[in-house]
Amino acid sequence: MILLNGDNPIMAYSTMLQRSVGSVSGLASTLAVATPYIFTGLSVAVAFRTGLDNIGSEGQLYMGAMAGALVGIYLKGFPAVLHILLAITAGVVAGGIWGWIFGWLKVKIKVDLVVTTIMGNYLAILFTSYLANYPFKPPRAPIGSTYFVVDSARLLRFFDFSTLNSGILVAILMLILYHVFFNHTKTGFEWKTIGLNHFFARYIGMNVPRQKLWAMFISGGFAGMGGVIEVLGVQGRFVQNMSPGYGYDGILVALLAGNSAPGIFAVAILFAALRIGGIGVEQVTNVPSELSQVLRAVIILLVAAQAGIFYFAKARRKKQHDLGNTVRS
Amino acid sequence: MIWETLFGPSVLEASLRIATPLLLAALGGAFTHHAGIFNIALEGMMLFGAFTAVVISYYTSNWLIAIAVTIAIGVLIGLLYALFTVQLKADYIVTGIAINVLALGLTTYLLRVLFHVKAGLQSTRIAPLPDINFPFLDGLGVVNQVFNNQSLFTYVSWALVVILWFVFYRTPFGLHIRAAGEHPESLETAGIGVARTRYIGAIFCGILCALAGAHLSLGYLNQYVINITSGRGFIAMAALLFGSGNPVIIALVSLLFGFAESISIRFQGLGVPGYFALMIPYIVTILALVVWSIQKQRRFQLPDAAPASEA
Repeated sequence: MILLNGDNPIMAYSTMLQRSVGSVSGLASTLAVATPYIFTGLSVAVAFRTGLDNIGSEGQLYMGAMAGALVGIYLKGFPAVLHILLAITAGVVAGGIWGWIFGWLKVKIKVDLVVTTIMGNYLAILFTSYLANYPFKPPRAPIGSTYFVVDSARLLRFFDFSTLNSGILVAILMLILYHVFFNHTKTGFEWKTIGLNHFFARYIGMNVPRQKLWAMFISGGFAGMGGVIEVLGVQGRFVQNMSPGYGYDGILVALLAGNSAPGIFAVAILFAALRIGGIGVEQVTNVPSELSQVLRAVIILLVAAQAGIFYFAKARRKKQHDLGNTVRS
Repeated sequence: MIWETLFGPSVLEASLRIATPLLLAALGGAFTHHAGIFNIALEGMMLFGAFTAVVISYYTSNWLIAIAVTIAIGVLIGLLYALFTVQLKADYIVTGIAINVLALGLTTYLLRVLFHVKAGLQSTRIAPLPDINFPFLDGLGVVNQVFNNQSLFTYVSWALVVILWFVFYRTPFGLHIRAAGEHPESLETAGIGVARTRYIGAIFCGILCALAGAHLSLGYLNQYVINITSGRGFIAMAALLFGSGNPVIIALVSLLFGFAESISIRFQGLGVPGYFALMIPYIVTILALVVWSIQKQRRFQLPDAAPASEA
């Protein structure tokens, strides 16, 4: 595909590698971009592990980002750490509620979660766009956005040349918490059990609906936290359509990572490296940065198929085995 | 005055026009829906169609060739989708999202490689889809204004509503498609491959979604803009689910959603935020699903023992 464009593919890929992880600034950018992927990956992983098909991280991220931005803008006079904590809490609650609502519909009325959360994404994006274009829009702002958050709500940036900020530390902390929760606590074990077999979980006396509702809240909360961190650390304010699909990518992250914490970290870095590398390639050659998007989709399809190929190969072997005594039609 | 702006003939005309891509894509989705595939890739399939139609029309200045190639691309995407979900048994959510990401990435990539433009492709060389004039409607005032001189695919989509209703509910082929979704075992017993039937469903879905995209780009914008579908595939999905795959209900709901979008544009013109009108499709769909779920549970009286149907 790169050849199609008349460029040397090997050079393009080596540039991609170099730009994303080959230098301090590249590495910093990669880590910065990986931060939202880690949060949405965690969001989806929590839900998937508990047997909930939450496709709504995108919307939950928007709700969280808006709530966090409003706290960051309109609450004044707090010390920095406290202010940031308050903003993050607001984001977690907003995102969590936006997950909880659809969890409630699923658990209580058995409405399909995949559909409602997808619809919820668009509702959240439209709703926050409305807020950013009407009530909270600064006069003369060129696009729909809020004011900038006050300084006490800004996350610390490590370098001048990168948007890498202390949000990555929060992300890593959350990865550790997630890991400990699912592997070393009773509730985490219960959630996993529900995910594996919720009939069994109910049979042995777990309160399945209650746990699922909490899982949806936490799932939405992680996505919301990702939104706040993006606002406080990178954008400085809420901007309409601020996410290039982080929520949907979170699904892919969680899937590739097999829902494990180290996996989520690794895949988030991979996705971020692809993006940063893609932009680097564009600067050096004529290859558009969307190449990385294409690569990502191809990786996903291959991985998604691989799980199936095993199945397919096994089924075919079985079919051959059974061929002698199976009468079809 | 406001009444006229919101409900006048020009709004109804726009509703029909805006409803067309939703309707076509949702009718395509009806094939996969009936065949038992939960397809969230409508968006990506539309995008591929929209892009192909404009590019081919640009190179050939001939909309017929453009549509022929668009159909071919639709077949390919349908095959690709079926290859992963039916053959390789990959997760349909993941496959759907991957197809959507691939569509956005690949179309943008190719647009930039082929035309060296960033935002979109606009040119007089692009031959649009023709508008169709029915002479017998010419003198009919409002009817003429609303229904006449619409783009070709608007009429095609409404004809398809009737045709597909007949196909799904009155032909053996339609029965097979629906059996593949509702009762795969019995279809297999009848000697008809479920996988093959789902493949066919996915191919038809690919074709109709691609045509939906083509209408969007060649039918009324007559240009290609990056991410031209911008979520319409999901609105189509909402219409599809609301109608449970029934073409007639899908058509009415698409029309409602088209109307919602066209009045949101009017609202914006009046200085009133149009965002809430744009939310209508999603809210309506969620509410409909809630109501049906409640009804279903009442009917079966299985509050606890109902198997968790993870769609």
